[in-house]
This record gives sequence, C-alpha cells and structure tokens, in this order.
Amino acid sequence: MPGIEPVAVRLVPLYSLRVAARDALLVLVVCAGAGAATNALRPGGIAFVQRSEYEILVPCPEGSGDAQAIPADDPAVWDTRTLLVDARSAVEHQRWHPTGSIAIPFDYLEPTSPEQVRRIASSGAGRVVVFGDGGNPDSGEQLAREIAGKGIRNVRFVAGGAPPLERAASVRGAQ
Amino acid sequence: MTKLRDWRGHAILALAARLYLAAIFLFACWHKILQPAAFALDIATYQILPLSLVNPLAIVLPWVELAAGLLLLLGFRTRAAALLVAGMMVMFTVAISIAVAKGLDMSCGCFASQGSAEDPISWRTILRDASWLLLAAYIFIFDRRPLGLDRLYGRRKSAASQEPS
Repeated sequence: MPGIEPVAVRLVPLYSLRVAARDALLVLVVCAGAGAATNALRPGGIAFVQRSEYEILVPCPEGSGDAQAIPADDPAVWDTRTLLVDARSAVEHQRWHPTGSIAIPFDYLEPTSPEQVRRIASSGAGRVVVFGDGGNPDSGEQLAREIAGKGIRNVRFVAGGAPPLERAASVRGAQ
Repeated sequence: MTKLRDWRGHAILALAARLYLAAIFLFACWHKILQPAAFALDIATYQILPLSLVNPLAIVLPWVELAAGLLLLLGFRTRAAALLVAGMMVMFTVAISIAVAKGLDMSCGCFASQGSAEDPISWRTILRDASWLLLAAYIFIFDRRPLGLDRLYGRRKSAASQEPS
C-alpha cells in the first residue's frame, strides 16, 4: 500500500512499532508463565488441556412465530374447529385434559419433531389453541410460538395455561 | 499530517483514553483470574476454538488483561500495552461477530461469567469493542507520555546521556 504506508510511518516510526511489538511479546510470555504457574499452584486450577467437551447450554435460534394469548373462557377455545394442544408433560396430561385435546409435551431443550408438527397440520382444524403449565415461562406459549414459527397458522395459547382452562371446563360442564 | 500529529490536545485525550482502558481491563480481568473454570466455559460457549486451546486461553488471557491494564495505568511501556489491548480487541470483536452471526443467545463473558448472563452479545457489543480498539490505536499513535513511568524513565535516560563523562 504505497499511499498508506508513508502516513503510518510518519505517525508512528517503524522503530517504535518494533520496540512495542517486542515489549508486547515479552509481556505475553511473562503472562503465560504467570498464568500457568498460578493455575498449577491454586486449589481450583483447571487442566491445561481439556479432555472432555464442555457442556454448553446456549439456546439455538429456533424459528419463533407470532401467537396471541386467548382467555380460557373464550368460546373460540371450545369451538369444534379448534384443535387443543396440551404442552404439559405426559403425566399432567393423564391427570386431566379437555376432551379431544392432543398431547405434545414441550421440551425446552429439544425442538418439536416434524412428525408432531405434521400431526397438527393434518388435523384439519381451523384454529390451534395450545395450553401449558401456566408457569413463567409458560410451556404453552413457548410451544405455540414454536409451531407458529414452523408454519402452522392461526395459533393461540391459553393465558394462564391449564389451571384456568380446567376451571373454564368445569364451568362449562356445570352449565 | 504534522499538524495532526503535533496537536497539543493529544496529550490530555490520550491520557484520558489510557486511564479509561486501564480501568476497563483491570475490571474485566478480575472475575476471570478468580474463576478460571467459569471463564473457560465462557470461551467454549463461543464454539470457535478447538477444545485443546480453550483452557490455555482461559489461563493466560486474564493475566494479559491484567498486565495491559496495569501498564496503561502506570504509563509504562504504553505502546506495548496499547498493542496488546488492540490485539485482544480484534480477537474479541471477531469472536463476538461470529457468535452474533450464528445467532447464539449468550452472554459476552467480558465482565461476568455466562451464569449471570447480564451482558448479552449483540451488534452493540461489537460496536463497543470496535470503539475500544480505536481508543487503543489512538493511544498507540498519539500518546505523549504526559504522566507515567515512561515519562519519568525518559527524563532519567536523557539526563544520564547529558552528564559529562
């Protein structure tokens, strides 16, 4: 770079650059020695070379779609064209679930399988309403956003999850 | 070019930049030196380096940060310290850019370990690191040793050379 080099050399003489690089290298060597010695002597030191892989837990970017909350007592939840999806665990689904709902337990680490997404897509429902444990974060909301991100349209999730849905179901049963 | 180089304001600006970067690096190295295992995990989380290089970097890098911070604070071997800081900033900027491009939802690990997750990486982190890189370059080029051991050492050296033999 004939145009740039003279400017750089005018600002910082080559000699200074060489001296600085030499000093920096010296500092690096001293730091490597100090770091290695301290690590070897301290009780909580780590192995110089790691043998087993680190267990890293970084959420990978999953397609996240738009899903709106819907109250448990909204008539649309109980509409015959609505597919109710239970995002809770299989045990909780066994304990109670609305008639006609399907179980797709949401896993915070594993994405929902394509087979389960296809199962929803092929249901022929006009609306998908997901309900979860109602916690924070709510598994229902998470699953709803995930499946919406995978191309399922008109996905909602029950605000508050299974508890208000169970109450709404009992009220409807009493009526 | 000479005008730019000889401007008197550089002395004050470079001193401020020097002390600012010194404070940042001294603050940043602390948790890494105290918790090397947590810092090694932070490095591994970036998923860039091979496993065999993760721990050596976790052991050595905090000490380089400490040394660079101390040298900048004391004004001793300032250009070498600025060069080290610039090298580290290039490394951090590249690593964070790769992680952001991959879409990894993680903490930077710059001032606290991943566990606290209070400093999530973003394009803002990259800009921040790039600005620190520019500051290091500024110090390297324009530092006039207004205060520090380099100045003291330089005076002694010139006084010694003027003494009659």
